Amino acid sequence: MVIMDQPQGSLAGAAKAEMRPSPVSAPEPAGETIVRIENLTIRYGDFSAVKNVSLDVYRNQATALIGPSGCGKSTLLRAINRMNDFVPNCQVDGRIVVRGRSIYDPGCDPVDLRRHIGMVFQKPNPFPKSIYRNVSWGAKINGYRGDMDALVEQCLRRAGLWEEVKDKLKQVALNLSGGQQQRLCIARALALQPDVLLMDEPCSALDPIATARIEDLIDQLKTDYTVVLVTHNMQQAARVSDRTAFLYMGELIEVEDTHVLFTHPRHPRTQAYITGRFG
Amino acid sequence: MTLHFVNLLDDLRRRSLRMAALVEDILNEACEALLSGDPALARRVILRDEGVDAEEVEVEKEVIRLLALYQPVGIDLRLLCAILKVNNDLERIADCAINVAERAKHLVEHPVHRTNTELRELCNVVQQILRRSVQAYGGEDLESAQAIRSGDTIVDDLYARIVQNIASEGATGPKSTAAMLDALSVAKNLERIADHATNIAEDVIFLATGQIVRHQQ
Ligand SMILES: Nc1ncnc2c1ncn2[C@@H]1O[C@H](COP(=O)(O)OP(=O)(O)OP(=O)(O)O)[C@@H](O)[C@H]1O
Ligand SMILES: [Mg+2]
Repeated sequence: MVIMDQPQGSLAGAAKAEMRPSPVSAPEPAGETIVRIENLTIRYGDFSAVKNVSLDVYRNQATALIGPSGCGKSTLLRAINRMNDFVPNCQVDGRIVVRGRSIYDPGCDPVDLRRHIGMVFQKPNPFPKSIYRNVSWGAKINGYRGDMDALVEQCLRRAGLWEEVKDKLKQVALNLSGGQQQRLCIARALALQPDVLLMDEPCSALDPIATARIEDLIDQLKTDYTVVLVTHNMQQAARVSDRTAFLYMGELIEVEDTHVLFTHPRHPRTQAYITGRFG
Repeated sequence: MTLHFVNLLDDLRRRSLRMAALVEDILNEACEALLSGDPALARRVILRDEGVDAEEVEVEKEVIRLLALYQPVGIDLRLLCAILKVNNDLERIADCAINVAERAKHLVEHPVHRTNTELRELCNVVQQILRRSVQAYGGEDLESAQAIRSGDTIVDDLYARIVQNIASEGATGPKSTAAMLDALSVAKNLERIADHATNIAEDVIFLATGQIVRHQQ
């Protein structure tokens, strides 16, 4: 399986694209669908990893994907910005509609799509460059012509990292702690001014304090962005997400408001999973 | 969650049910002391209060411990919440039953007040409601919990009639005034017990459905 460790490929082709203005200050009300997944089936060769899943992701909310290992969470997440394009043998059927456009249609440019839909990975993966360059790099490639210092500061502030790094922006990012690196990766993703942030277990390599910071951050990011989060940590899903989707063997078993799913799930399988009485 | 937790939760649930049985027994004895005019029994009932208080605190501690250590969700969370709330209602019911026993001691010499038909009936109905609530709780029986919830008006009617009777009879002297107040207090405490027993039924509904039905018709 190929996981894009660095988003160079996804950015290079977007150089010609203009940076869009900052996210509007008064977001449209939550409840509007920003990503609509319709009857999505994803196969690796003969094996169906995601089976006929339909799911709406609402703007300015955090949606959590939970389920046992191998149930297809990462596969589904990667489909939302077409990261699965890099996986040989991977075939997608059904539709994903982002802001009214079907992203698997031939006319849709995946590179442009990934600018709108950013991704943060499980393991922090900063470039071996300075803190500043980590944030500015993608924006520069995208032809950002505004005040780069201001953009870097804004994104680092947004990621809750500014105070810790403002005096050492020229230092190499690899010297940061794991939690700081992860926030840097979030800042880097924000520099592309995406609408949606996809996060695949963003805290699994972090200690409880760093985890709490990322969780707070996710909560704040919701005012301007939409977050889709894969997590193995049920408490985390319960804490940070507005809606939670439970996947089992590639099928979407149940999607509910998070507080409902964690107090009174409808499906016995969800009940068994969240209470740890599985199998 | 681990098997260990499942076992702890099951132990706690059974402990809560034992407490419910204890409280039920206290109410039954308080009613018997009242209706048969048995001051010795009334005194024995009153002594049982301490045991309930101590058990209430222990159950509550265990609920808090399990919430803190295991952060349960779904049915486990609902069960712990129900245990905590039922626990509180059981302790209140025991308090009210003790009050009934206290008044029963005073009413020994006033059979008119302690054995009239309405009061007998009220004792009977309230004991029944508590028994059915505790049974619904033990069996997590949604249907009977719902039935209990809709049957609460009988108690209100009986209570209203008792108050009316006492008021219309009027007192004939200081002793009879005291007896009337005791009888009123007995009726009031029994009526409260029915309310708490109905709360237990509502907790059973929450346990089964996740719905909070309190304050709804
Ligand atoms: N590149 C691939 N080629 C073939 N099979 C794959 C590939 N990637 C994933 N799979 C299979 O697809 C299924 C879903 O994988 P996926 O990574 O989406 O699961 P997951 O829910 O994210 O699991 P985890 O919680 O362990 O990360 C698994 O059975 C996995 O083995
Ligand atoms: Mg995964």
